[in-house]
Amino acid sequence: MTSHRIDLPCARIDRSQPLSFTFDGIRLAGFVGDTLASALLANGWRMLGRSFKYGRPRGIVGSGPEEPNALVQVEAGANTIPNLKATQVELYDGLVARRTTGWPSLRADLKSLGGRFGRFMPAGFYYKTFKPEFAWRRIEPLIRNAAGYGATPLDADPDLYDHQHHHAQVLVVGGGAAGLAAALAAGRAGLDVILVDESSEPGGWLLSMPNVAIAGKPSGEWLSDILAELASLPNVRVMPRTSAFALHDLNLVQAVEQLQDHLAPAARDSTKPRQRLHRIRAGRIVLATGAIDRPLVFGQNDRPGIMTASALTTYLNRYAVAVGNRVVILTSNDYAYQGACDLAKAGVRVTLVDTRTALDLAWERKARGAGIDVRAGYGISRTHGSHAIDGVQLIKLDAAGNAVPGRAPYLDCDAVGSSGGLSPTVHLYCHDGGRPQWDESRLAFIAPATGRARSGIFCVGALAGEFGLSGALEQTWIIMDEVLATFGKEQARERTHATTTEMTTSPAQRIFRVPDGKREGHGKKAFVDFQNDVATSDIHLAVRENYRSIEHIKRYTALGFGTDQGKLSNVNGFAIAADALGKSIPEVGTTTYRPAYSPVTFGTLAGPHAGNTFDPRRYTAMHACHAKRGAAFEPVGQWLRPWYFPQGSEDMHAAVKRECLAARRGVAIMDASTLGKIDLKGKDVRELLNRVYANAWTSLAPGKCRYGLMLDENGMVMDDGVTACIADDHFHMTTTTGGAARVLSWLEKWHQTEWPDLDVFMTSVTDHWATAAVVGPKSREVLAKVCKDIDLSPAAFKFMDWREGTVADVPARVFRISFSGELAFEVNVEATYGAHVWEALMEAGAEHGITPYGTETMHVLRAEKGFIIVGQDTDGSLTPYDLDMAWAVSLKKAYSFLGQRSLTREDTARKGRKQLVGLLTEQPDVVLREGAQIIESTDIKHPMPMLGHVTSSYMSPELGRSIALAVVADGIARRSPEGVKDGRDVLYAWARGDAHRVRVVSPVFLDPKGERQNV
Amino acid sequence: MFLIHCPHCGEAREEEEFSYGGEAFIARPGKPAEIGDEAWGDYLFMRKNPKGWHWEMWGHATGCRKWFVVKRHTANHTIAGSWTLTEGRKVYDAEATS
Amino acid sequence: MSEPLMQSPLHDLGLAARARAIDDSAGTWACERPLAAFISLRGHVSDAAFVAAVSKALGTALPVKPCTTSEAAQTKVLWLSPDEWMIVAPRAEKARLLAALGASLKGIRSQVIDNSGGYTQVVLTGGYATDVLAHTTVYDVHALEPGRVVGTTFGKASLYLRRDGDGYVLLFRRSFADYILRYLERAAGPYGFAVASAETTGTS
Repeated sequence: MTSHRIDLPCARIDRSQPLSFTFDGIRLAGFVGDTLASALLANGWRMLGRSFKYGRPRGIVGSGPEEPNALVQVEAGANTIPNLKATQVELYDGLVARRTTGWPSLRADLKSLGGRFGRFMPAGFYYKTFKPEFAWRRIEPLIRNAAGYGATPLDADPDLYDHQHHHAQVLVVGGGAAGLAAALAAGRAGLDVILVDESSEPGGWLLSMPNVAIAGKPSGEWLSDILAELASLPNVRVMPRTSAFALHDLNLVQAVEQLQDHLAPAARDSTKPRQRLHRIRAGRIVLATGAIDRPLVFGQNDRPGIMTASALTTYLNRYAVAVGNRVVILTSNDYAYQGACDLAKAGVRVTLVDTRTALDLAWERKARGAGIDVRAGYGISRTHGSHAIDGVQLIKLDAAGNAVPGRAPYLDCDAVGSSGGLSPTVHLYCHDGGRPQWDESRLAFIAPATGRARSGIFCVGALAGEFGLSGALEQTWIIMDEVLATFGKEQARERTHATTTEMTTSPAQRIFRVPDGKREGHGKKAFVDFQNDVATSDIHLAVRENYRSIEHIKRYTALGFGTDQGKLSNVNGFAIAADALGKSIPEVGTTTYRPAYSPVTFGTLAGPHAGNTFDPRRYTAMHACHAKRGAAFEPVGQWLRPWYFPQGSEDMHAAVKRECLAARRGVAIMDASTLGKIDLKGKDVRELLNRVYANAWTSLAPGKCRYGLMLDENGMVMDDGVTACIADDHFHMTTTTGGAARVLSWLEKWHQTEWPDLDVFMTSVTDHWATAAVVGPKSREVLAKVCKDIDLSPAAFKFMDWREGTVADVPARVFRISFSGELAFEVNVEATYGAHVWEALMEAGAEHGITPYGTETMHVLRAEKGFIIVGQDTDGSLTPYDLDMAWAVSLKKAYSFLGQRSLTREDTARKGRKQLVGLLTEQPDVVLREGAQIIESTDIKHPMPMLGHVTSSYMSPELGRSIALAVVADGIARRSPEGVKDGRDVLYAWARGDAHRVRVVSPVFLDPKGERQNV
Repeated sequence: MFLIHCPHCGEAREEEEFSYGGEAFIARPGKPAEIGDEAWGDYLFMRKNPKGWHWEMWGHATGCRKWFVVKRHTANHTIAGSWTLTEGRKVYDAEATS
Repeated sequence: MSEPLMQSPLHDLGLAARARAIDDSAGTWACERPLAAFISLRGHVSDAAFVAAVSKALGTALPVKPCTTSEAAQTKVLWLSPDEWMIVAPRAEKARLLAALGASLKGIRSQVIDNSGGYTQVVLTGGYATDVLAHTTVYDVHALEPGRVVGTTFGKASLYLRRDGDGYVLLFRRSFADYILRYLERAAGPYGFAVASAETTGTS
């Protein structure tokens, strides 16, 4: 075996707790503390997948969220999660994982055949090759089939997720040495502190560097001491396994906490969430997000077994895994040396290839002392191996990093680590507008420590360019002084942790792409972005094809896309693009860093907004009464309303027919509680009504009701409803069910901004009143049985009157209004008594067969009368005139009511606008589809003039035929009374291939004189 | 995700509590009937779209239900302050004349 | 005829059947205070006559500072906005309060509405009540002091929230009651959720 477990006591795995897991069906062993990646490496696994575009063999490159290749599918069935990074999957007993690429098998991958012709698949290959639309349409499914990684789960997600809001004084992101020191400083000062760290345990890079002492203690001991002190502070909360993935305006950070992912599915508590979304609003944010080792780019640098140098170190020190027996480490800096020494000490044969011709003497001496073969002034030009690395060809470099012609050694090896310097994790710093700065001496885009201090954002440690431990701790100390000062606090004066035994480093060499002595594109492919198969040559090609902005180069080549979001590739890509463009790196700049820093599941984002708490579901006080009677319900906005009440084996049509006929010929009852209701009080209410409704309200007397159309300022109908005059200064307004909140907000806005002088108060009473509409010729008799104190006689209680009285021993307001065209009474009582009154009315109506009905029958009844439903028959583009409702418009009011002026705008006043009409099909049993297009002829030629569409369509039991409402261009003029036919009234309604001949008529299909409601 | 200080409730609250009301201080023409289509169209549709400071209305939807004004920088989302309609008008007018 | 049947907004959830005395078995305890009187009051703080008339009718000073409350006997007065208050009282007090306010405010610019059918209250107590609320609302619950009331979000709905002794009182609209209780129970799940019997919650 090449990569293997070694004996290293300081590693963070627990050898007393062995675990068993399977990968691609093969049973393997690991330990508590392992990640899936470390355990696979410990078992000698190197190739884990095939690349996205060329199907090249790929293995583990990193050791954390930067991993581009090792995307795995974890678990199966409903619990399966695709595309997790093996480097972040904590091992548990029984874990089942499999590869996400490589078909039919990892070793014989079909896509790799295409890879052989990789030089013919450059950036933009698909756009160029399949440009003709017909070709693309054929090839796209094939490409899509071959592309992508894991499989989406097909079953419903069985896990719970939730959200939690926090308000902290200080949020520290990152639990490495700097982050812990920052949290401690703030915690000791007594501030409310939250520290989030994405790893299974805090410590960051300290977990990978046991051979350094801080304040006289080994790093492991220093770490456990500081964690113990943080745990002892009640004002500090340390949250491991919590990844801050977004930073928004005014210091709002979103973080996802993995609560149960590290447990075997059987060991998880199904009553508790798997993941939790934390939304943390912090007074100050201290970013301590660290840095990621940046690999060098060289020919064939993507073979399994080639990693970042820091990943080699982490697998060794944290997980006790030596990734090879003969390791080559390619570096341009000193940061890779300590890890190389650790590897050598663990018995691995190490060759350190340094691109610099002049080395740091102290580090060189230390490396040679550890038995390392150090080669100065070399790079790697290409590598060798079939499914994993087995050798590297070196190339001689001069002091400037250019290739020197001539022979160079070939080294056998079974693993390679490379380091081109550190790239600070600037993502969060940049999410809400921060820009990183290029630091030429550090060869890195860094986040200036106090660059965003005015916004309350501070950066410490490697993020701010302090790559050494001593420097990072010292700088954190200084910055925390500033942070605490903003709270008027000071740090304790003694420095407890700034002294370390870490050796100093000398400057790194500026090298990103190791030259191979050939013109770009002519040598072996040198990959920049592994996940998207972007090679150096692709970036050069994009530049040759005249892409100039790094944002465009990114999108043309796919550099930095994907689940790793270019954590390893971005800076190399920017630098290589800069070289190709002949610009400096700061001139090229970075692409935009956007949330999310790392992938977040949809389940976590949805959180508690799922299942029966997906959205507010509103119920009326009479809901249980309807459920008891077997109602079928439908959602109307957030409300759940009875749709129809099937009896026995009735389907909806049979039920609706029965309910309609009961309302027209006997008595029926509907729950109308969902209508919006607003109580208006004050001496200027009439004036307010005059201004917000199209019609006039000055003369409406107490005891009377009136219907009104509410227009927006464009003159378009936005709501309608009946308003009752309770007293001269007191009115009860009703709105549509869906419009209740909007209308109240609309009225308030006008009152507060434009008319504060009006003496009016408006308060929602939607929920206070429960409303039962008793409808039909027998409704008066039914109501009379439970209402003794109101004179219900036609002479005393006229249509559009309201009366106060008692119904079923409960105080009530009874409105004689009708949305069906029948004699009807709407009984309003305090909702507390809603169920009681409903049942009393049902009992009173029993002898007349009182029939409860739902929204479907309500729609049929109102459509028979041509009554509109705002939002169904209107869509914000219809004026009262378009609806043929000029009777509801008064142009004589003193104040130009909302929308009035717009009614005379050129377009609003023009002839031929779409107008509401009725439609009768030639065949009476054909019910048109709602949404059907109105056309003039069945001879369909493109473009076909669309005259309008069907807005409402039903079978009318009372009329024994279908009816429909529609908006049709110049519709009112097309309407022809029976017998008058000039041809313009004959049109066609077309939907899904069927055209039906229709006649344009008045929308009032029943009782045009309105006699039934006046009985 | 802003933190907005409600001048009526006297506290900074999360943006979720508020609804956005667009540009502030758009006065309704006093005599709509006497102005032309173009002037009326300006009132209806034309809005400032500055990259910079913007006076806008916010309503405290889940709180006091009051509309108030906020001066916000549209490029970096800094909020300079929030005022009641009356107080905001004074600050706005003072800025306009200075 | 018998007394008309009254039903609270949470009636259909059958909380009473689940109610038990508070103990250590759950981290959060909810208890509805059903069928109270809720009176919406509107008027202008700047109108001294209004403030005086209301204070006289209620027997307690009208809270005029933002987000504050006042109380007299079993009547609580909650500031909701500079011109809006909610008066919460036992149902038996409703008629008296409405009459007193009506008489006292005669001729004064104001609005007094019986909104008793439109609202209910739930008391939330238990060691984890604050944490649970942090799951449900964007408001900084830890900073909510006794004597203050705030209108804020609850899931995708909204409510008025105030501290009451060791617990919280949630005041919300009838039609949202089902959603709010289900959402609360879901949020409280990880901490343990139970329904408290009224007598063990204390009343105020």
